Amino acid sequence: MSSQADTRGRRTSRNTRRLAFGAMFTALALIFSYVEFLIPLPVPVPGIKLGLANLVIIIAIYRMGFKYAFTINCVRIVASGLLFSGVFGMLYSFAGGILSLLVMYGLYRTKLFSMVGVSMAGGVIHNLGQLITACLMVSSIRLMSYFAVLLFSGLISGILIGILAYHIEKRLPSDIR
Amino acid sequence: MIKKADIILLIIILAVGIPLSVLSLSAGTSGDRVRISLNGKVYGTYPLDEDRVVKVSAGGHTNHITIKDGQVSMSYSTCRNQVCVNTGAISKTKDSIVCLPNRVVVEIISHGSGKSGAGGDADVISG
Repeated sequence: MSSQADTRGRRTSRNTRRLAFGAMFTALALIFSYVEFLIPLPVPVPGIKLGLANLVIIIAIYRMGFKYAFTINCVRIVASGLLFSGVFGMLYSFAGGILSLLVMYGLYRTKLFSMVGVSMAGGVIHNLGQLITACLMVSSIRLMSYFAVLLFSGLISGILIGILAYHIEKRLPSDIR
Repeated sequence: MIKKADIILLIIILAVGIPLSVLSLSAGTSGDRVRISLNGKVYGTYPLDEDRVVKVSAGGHTNHITIKDGQVSMSYSTCRNQVCVNTGAISKTKDSIVCLPNRVVVEIISHGSGKSGAGGDADVISG
């Protein structure tokens, strides 16, 4: 009886830990969104950014699994939409964020790719998702002229974030998961 | 840190992306009319060689589109990000100025062939 209570107690404490880490990851992702909102890159094309929040999401995929990564991403998008980028921004973030999360998780599950490859694909897909949403919003295919810029910016920022995520994940204490 | 599959993925993305980018960036011809769309519907079409300022107002948003010396620019917008204003002046058929928050699109079309221009762009997606 007492050993049963003990296991239950340990499980509850593990769940509590996961909840706390999940909340911490969410807060960190939101801060990264804020930093990017504060310091926009000086380019005339909308949508080019480093994707710092993706750093958190990738590590969440590797450490905490799909459910946590998905929840963290959704909460971050809604919160940063309400706080910084507005409802329209939220819509774009959702299109890019959910699509890239699905692709990144799919690639992660194949075990074929490193974090750099996963992040690279995520960056590209994120930008494509936003571009397609933008095209639908203004019902104009003309926007596709941004395609080249967004493709390569997604590629480069994805690779950079992937390298960062690799080094950070390696150094994170192993009990964060 | 980097696996072989990453390199293959990069090559695939580049192999698909570069031709598509070239297609989407290929220079347009010089057009002679300006088409302004609001919420996906054509708001008005204006000749490129007559200087004027078009004011588009809808739902509390206002955009001023300036046609001057054969070039079009978004001279004023109530949107927050001002990306449309920073786009600068355009004059070629593939160019466009887009104000996403206010859902205003300014495009250059050549005489009587707005349709063929749109068809050319559609190939970019299907290809």
